[in-house]
Amino acid sequence: MLRVRDVSLSYGGEPVLEGASLAVGDGQFVSLVGPSGSGKSSLLRVIIGLQTPIAGIVECSYRRSEIGILFQDDALLPWKTARENVALGLTLNGMDRRDAVAQADHWLGRLGLAGFEDRYPRRLSGGQRKRVALAQVLARKPKLILMDEPFASLDAIVRARVVADVVALVEQQKISVLLVTHDLEEALSLSDAVYLLSQGPRARITQEYNVPIPRPRDPVRSRLHPSFATLYEKLWSDLSREVGGEHAQPARDDAAEAA
Amino acid sequence: MTLDPRHAWIRQLATLALVLALWEAAGYAGWLNPLFAPPPSRIGSALHDLFSDGRIWPHLEATFTAALGGLILGIIVGIALGVLAALIPFIAELLEPVMTLLNAIPRVVLAPLFVIWLGVGISSKIALSFILVSVLIFFTVFTGIRQVDRRLVERITTLGGGRWALIRHVYLPSVAAWVLGNLKVAVGFAFTGACVGEFVAATRGLGYLLSFAQSTYNAALMFAIILIIMVVVLVIFSLSGRLEKYLMRWT
Ligand SMILES: Nc1ncnc2c1ncn2[C@@H]1O[C@H](COP(=O)(O)OP(=O)(O)O)[C@@H](O)[C@H]1O
Ligand SMILES: [Mg+2]
Repeated sequence: MLRVRDVSLSYGGEPVLEGASLAVGDGQFVSLVGPSGSGKSSLLRVIIGLQTPIAGIVECSYRRSEIGILFQDDALLPWKTARENVALGLTLNGMDRRDAVAQADHWLGRLGLAGFEDRYPRRLSGGQRKRVALAQVLARKPKLILMDEPFASLDAIVRARVVADVVALVEQQKISVLLVTHDLEEALSLSDAVYLLSQGPRARITQEYNVPIPRPRDPVRSRLHPSFATLYEKLWSDLSREVGGEHAQPARDDAAEAA
Repeated sequence: MTLDPRHAWIRQLATLALVLALWEAAGYAGWLNPLFAPPPSRIGSALHDLFSDGRIWPHLEATFTAALGGLILGIIVGIALGVLAALIPFIAELLEPVMTLLNAIPRVVLAPLFVIWLGVGISSKIALSFILVSVLIFFTVFTGIRQVDRRLVERITTLGGGRWALIRHVYLPSVAAWVLGNLKVAVGFAFTGACVGEFVAATRGLGYLLSFAQSTYNAALMFAIILIIMVVVLVIFSLSGRLEKYLMRWT
């Protein structure tokens, strides 16, 4: 269980986030969407502990080592092979080297990278690197995975395949997920719940949508589910209102000054 | 006509042979003053003499010792100071202006000073090589560490790695990569330092032979030594190129 309560964050000036709250239940797949620059990545960095909020708390029932993180550009160590990169995630957790290497090979194989274990990242394609990063995260048997636009750098076809693999593995291992994305279709097709972050500054969660599409899910097929279109339309109009609201901002400030 | 790039070396060699032959012929015809431009055969026999009576070896040894000594010391000290300065702001405050000054001047001007301080022996040559190399390596490491990829650091941290894991898996390999990337330049600097040091004041070494050839107006000997220095540096270049290629095979 991950619970974010009334988190506010400032980088020095006006707060980027103000009173943002959300929750991810055990085994739940949750997405966080919002306008670009609203503070989605910032909120995730607060949860990870890379940023300290000025107010609010993050409650998490998982240990640090049970949390996996996947970013847009997954910085694999360029001087380590695919196998060494994956194994490093395990040895840093205290696993002995031989077991770590065996596990690394197992997970690389499961993600379709058998035969690429000895490649350096520079010699892998974008999709393959993403799979290595995924193997690195999954090999640690996480209970929660935090993802920040992890698929944004992949082209459409590779992306569809990687996403399908992720969903299958996450469902199978009952891993909780918090996914940050700007892709509404992706959010709806993968998640049990979607949170909408309002336009910043002082962004907070303004809407929560439950997605009643049954599991196991096929990320492409679930777009054909009857509830998908309705939810998509609602999410889209709420988001458009948020982005449109940026014009209303000065008016509110004027009002504040007048008051 | 299209040129097969694989055969470039044949054309290069043939042209070189032609130039040498013309040079030789010009010498015999009396068009070139042998005092300034001795024909290739004279240079060849000077080379032959140097090696056949074994006179060259102590000089080669002296230059090598000075250059390699300066190179190794310079790399070790350069890395150590670079790391310290990158980690401890107080040390950076003290070191950075000194290094910037040393970097701004042509450091070979320190050669006479080192002779006064350390004598005409090998120490002053090692010192000159050392100062050339260490300043280069210091800046490589110092700026390198400050520009280390933040994402790699965050990655290791979020995987649960502490300070030691960061040093071992991120900083050390990064530092090694930057140093290796500058290894060829450092080797060139090291030999420059050794030869210039010997040129200024010495009793042995290729630089000393050069200054001897100069004082006796022996152009053939001078050409021979320049040739030897070129070959030596090229060999070391290719060795360090191979080392770099092996250790940086991940690029
Ligand atoms: N390290 C930082 N320092 C200062 N401002 C930042 C920093 N990171 C993000 N911001 C600002 O915070 C706001 C939210 O950024 P971010 O969390 O990256 O948004 P999102 O991920 O939703 O696109 C933006 O206005 C951005 O400019
Ligand atoms: Mg972002």
